[in-house]
Amino acid sequence: MRAPSHLTLVPQPKPGPDEADVEIWYPELVPKATVALPRTALEHLDALYRVARSLTGRDDDAEDLVQETYARAISGWAQFTAGTNLRAWLFRILRNAFIDNYRRSRTNPVQVGFDEEFATSLTSDSREPVRSDVELERLRSVVTADIEEALASLSVDARAIILLDLEGFTETELADSLGCAVGTVKSRLARARAVLRERLRDYGS
Amino acid sequence: MDCIEVRNHLLDLGRGTLSGELHERVDSHLEGCAACRGEDAADRELSAALRDRLPKRRAPDALRRSIEARLTGEPPRASRGMGRTWGVSLVAAAAFAAAAVVALLLWRPHDSDAMLAEAVNDHLRVLYSDHPVEIESGGIHQVKPWFTGRLDFAPVVAFGGDDDFPLEGGAVAYFLDRKAATFIFKRRLHVITLFVFRAEGLPWPALATQPLGGARGTLETSRGFHVLTWRKGDLGYALVSDVDPTDLQMLAVKVAGGV
Repeated sequence: MRAPSHLTLVPQPKPGPDEADVEIWYPELVPKATVALPRTALEHLDALYRVARSLTGRDDDAEDLVQETYARAISGWAQFTAGTNLRAWLFRILRNAFIDNYRRSRTNPVQVGFDEEFATSLTSDSREPVRSDVELERLRSVVTADIEEALASLSVDARAIILLDLEGFTETELADSLGCAVGTVKSRLARARAVLRERLRDYGS
Repeated sequence: MDCIEVRNHLLDLGRGTLSGELHERVDSHLEGCAACRGEDAADRELSAALRDRLPKRRAPDALRRSIEARLTGEPPRASRGMGRTWGVSLVAAAAFAAAAVVALLLWRPHDSDAMLAEAVNDHLRVLYSDHPVEIESGGIHQVKPWFTGRLDFAPVVAFGGDDDFPLEGGAVAYFLDRKAATFIFKRRLHVITLFVFRAEGLPWPALATQPLGGARGTLETSRGFHVLTWRKGDLGYALVSDVDPTDLQMLAVKVAGGV
């Protein structure tokens, strides 16, 4: 028996011997959390705005991206699975909205994935290695504008994983937000930070 | 454990979240690998830079109200540029705009609390930061030019510090939804932070009773910190510290008097 498309159905324990050949489905006992995106979604507004601001580089574009994110979350609330992570879900929407919409409006398409990031970084790996004390000194002298510029030069996903980590995301949340396997999060984050450090070589004293 | 694997764990090591056995293996590797020790030090420095020097932006109040209205089922506002998914009619937009104006008028008295909270929070960030100043002071004529190209306005601050209130340096920060020039003064062992920002569009307190030379300000207290705010021309000023309010007013007079 197929489940009607508007209901989430789960199989129930085996029935009695007389009905052993019949598989019976019942409506799932765990309901969808609420009928609409809850107000608790507002708790993530500042973090969404910070990440949007870093992705777009502009206040007004960041506002639009956040508006877009909530609009998609409201209209797509039925697809949210109760008991999963709302914060990660919202950030995944934001990332997708940025990739879908924002880059269309730009002359130069943005880099999206880690693969592009690390392919690009391979060419710059051939630069002279920097002594660690020199790099430390440079990192100590970089200012806000330097960091923001260096971040802006990274791919969307490399930027996002660094920023979401700063927001206190767990590895599971990072994986959910970026659509990658939990087991790859640690290495992706480490590599994204390594590329950011490399880009910051050009700044500081 | 090789270098690549160790480097994947350096962030957790720096945060103190590595488990016992893994911690020992990473430590053991670091003892014998100068390259990874260098990576560890640089990674920790990067963490400090990201934590302390990236602005802690908050969503603009207008955006917050707009999203909140959506969540509570009120008519949404029309958005600019990319976010064109709301698709409201002109009539609905006009009605919502009228409602928004009323809401804005009703909201302002509460928003001035947001200014007070922001001033204290920004001051706390200065206190807790490992790098509170981005440009160390060699006098106001060294600090002010440093802001050129980093702000969309020129901070007007004539007072460059003296023996009573030495100027430690400056930095760029965020005050609510806008960039702010941050000047850090000292009063004995106390830190006093002066934020200078564009005044337009902020919910200033209705009453400004403190005479400050060429301006009048508002003195408020939150969480043990005194906050003195005033506006002059296009610019807004907020002085924050735990010093005695009379000291704060004395510095404000020096800053505002030269404005």
